[in-house]
Amino acid sequence: MSRTRSASPISRSVSRRSLLAGAGAAGAGLGLAACGGGSGGDAGTPESDPDHKDLVMTVWGGEADKLAYQARVDLAKEKFPDYTITLQLIPSENYEQKVQTMISSKTGPDIMQVAENVNVYSSKQQLVPLDDYISAAGLDMAATFGPVGENYRWDGKTYGIPDRSGAMVLYYNKDLFDAAGIEYPTADWDWDTFLDAAKALTDPAEGRFGFGGVGWWPQWFSLVAQNGGAVLDPETGAPSVNSPEAVEALQWAQDLYFTHKVAPTAVDYSNMGPEMGADGAFQQGLVAMNSTGFWAVGGNAGIDGLNWDIAPFFHGKEKAVSAFGSALVIPTAAKNPQASFEIIQFLTSAEGQTPIADLGQDVPANLELQGSDAFLDPEWLEADANLEAFPESADMIFTPKFIPEWNEMQKSVDDAMASFWLGESDAQTTADDLQSRLERVIKPSE
Amino acid sequence: MTVVDAAAAPDRGTAPGPAGRPPRAKMPPHRRKEALLFYLFISPWVIGFLAFLLGPMIFSIYLSFTEWDSFTPPRWVGLENYITLLTDDPIFWKVMGNTAYYAIISVPLGMAVSLFIANLLNKKVRFRKLFRTLVYLPHLIPIVAVALIFQMVFAPGAGPLNQALSLVGITGPNWLMDSAWVKPALILMSLWQAGGGTILLLAGMNGIPKELYEAAEIDGASSMRQFWSVTFPQLTPVIFFNLIMGIIGSFQVFAQVFILTGGGPDNASQMAVPMLFDEAFRFYHMGYGSAIAWILFVVIMAFTALAFATSGRWVFYESEVRS
Repeated sequence: MSRTRSASPISRSVSRRSLLAGAGAAGAGLGLAACGGGSGGDAGTPESDPDHKDLVMTVWGGEADKLAYQARVDLAKEKFPDYTITLQLIPSENYEQKVQTMISSKTGPDIMQVAENVNVYSSKQQLVPLDDYISAAGLDMAATFGPVGENYRWDGKTYGIPDRSGAMVLYYNKDLFDAAGIEYPTADWDWDTFLDAAKALTDPAEGRFGFGGVGWWPQWFSLVAQNGGAVLDPETGAPSVNSPEAVEALQWAQDLYFTHKVAPTAVDYSNMGPEMGADGAFQQGLVAMNSTGFWAVGGNAGIDGLNWDIAPFFHGKEKAVSAFGSALVIPTAAKNPQASFEIIQFLTSAEGQTPIADLGQDVPANLELQGSDAFLDPEWLEADANLEAFPESADMIFTPKFIPEWNEMQKSVDDAMASFWLGESDAQTTADDLQSRLERVIKPSE
Repeated sequence: MTVVDAAAAPDRGTAPGPAGRPPRAKMPPHRRKEALLFYLFISPWVIGFLAFLLGPMIFSIYLSFTEWDSFTPPRWVGLENYITLLTDDPIFWKVMGNTAYYAIISVPLGMAVSLFIANLLNKKVRFRKLFRTLVYLPHLIPIVAVALIFQMVFAPGAGPLNQALSLVGITGPNWLMDSAWVKPALILMSLWQAGGGTILLLAGMNGIPKELYEAAEIDGASSMRQFWSVTFPQLTPVIFFNLIMGIIGSFQVFAQVFILTGGGPDNASQMAVPMLFDEAFRFYHMGYGSAIAWILFVVIMAFTALAFATSGRWVFYESEVRS
């Protein structure tokens, strides 16, 4: 999810998200408390009021996101001249609280962007199930979006249409690879080839590390999945983080820091500078490889003298990699869900997503567009980066179950693993501890 | 303190008294005008309190007895939230302990530091005004920027704090990543902003009559003796004010924790209000969060009441006569 892009727990840096939230959050509480009870509602397809033509769409992000969303909304307005669509861009750090307030005070949007938090809303009957609309429109989710099409299902119903979806990929510094005399990474790399390269690229004398680390959940969740384990059971969402497969993957991950010393610990990062994480260290040539999302393409391209490229993330016994994405959903309070759906269908078509590619905002979820030159060879990117790595990774994307307790799960992970990533507890102890914490917060679906 | 007195005085004059009280028309015109002005000036606070605080406060008492995710209707659970918090929550006691640790150390320490600085700045030194400005300046910097600065200061190897410690042969800790040192780090950071209290104390010092010092000098009192026997007793109303505000502020510490540590590592620096925020606005347990708020309210009230109860013994007002 791109809005936590800088919030890697291993480099517990001051993310922009928490900065602004800290500034604004203190006063956020009381207004909401005054709003009174929420709406109940049943889960069926609600009536549409065809006279409701003023639609509000909420998304999160910054300036670049605003440009891309506005361009898409403008395209939608041309397509549906009868509707007025108002785009509300909310700063990422306030998004969840803001839509929570809007929905509880019954002024919710008609179209809403969601990510891993989708089932916070769907499990509380706040989203319109889309299956009837999808079948009526003849939309083939699997063909259009690949495995990501399944991500936004809960309790047998589909609640979201994927909008943005880019796999985590491996960024690498070509100059450092050349200097060390190593072949560039490929999709064929496994744990052993990766580790050999990371060791060769590490140079303590220069303060340089081979790899940016795996302390952020999309990274080590991927490793657990690659080893045949799962942090959350894919069917029920029940935690299974202390399975032998998961523990083995965690131990391998921890060894990168303390046995092989190929990745900077939180202490190392805080000594590199304030707000320093793997993305920044990569740009400064302090780490030679970094696994992160699409946003680093724009960031790296802006650094003079950085000679970099992208490859798909390496694999273990199995192929699995996390992705960062979001979907568009319809809140139950929307007055004209039929219109909302038509607009969402257009926005997630290849045509409606083209500005995402043209402006370099993100990876469009629509596979047709993801494989086209509009995305792979865009005008905004001068560097000759191998954007093929994104569509190439699309079929190995694994998605953890988006449980309604997602935020609590994240907090438990941060709490339980703080000492693990500092090398103060081993994989089995940490996994057992985390498992019991997760069992306390997660109520698995049957 | 004087503000409160000035506001309370006209109120006594206009408050509806018992039956048999002289009719309103007898009030002299200048008193009437004064009373009107009082209501005019107090109204923004009264209206603000009634409209924006009292309603939500009452609602949050109700919510604390329910389970509410803010979307579906609240479900009445009686005292369950309170019972869970006090007997079954894995982190609540740790969090309350952290908050008390922070408050009980940072408040007296901050008051001592600001009194010390105020006393220095009250001396006739060169560039006194410049120093006074510099001492107050950190108080004006947004907490977000302060947190960024201290992230650098606390860096384990490259940070100036640990580098200074290493000069005297001490290996500094991993301040923000070590569960034993993260709370002292937050307290250190709070001391940097002690300038707010200093300014109030300086104003109080300027109000102490010079004759007292002259008399003390004639009696042969050393400057130390003058400080403890003249300056300090005369300042106790300001110190008392700083204490009350300090207790309230430190129990509600939020932004520093939220930004700098996120409550980590493993809740070693988690405090009551950040926990409340997490529960209510990130985990969608609005009722549970409300219960935390009311427990915190009781704790703050208890400490404030304690401070007021003991104040008679050590706070001296100018008009007071003590034997």
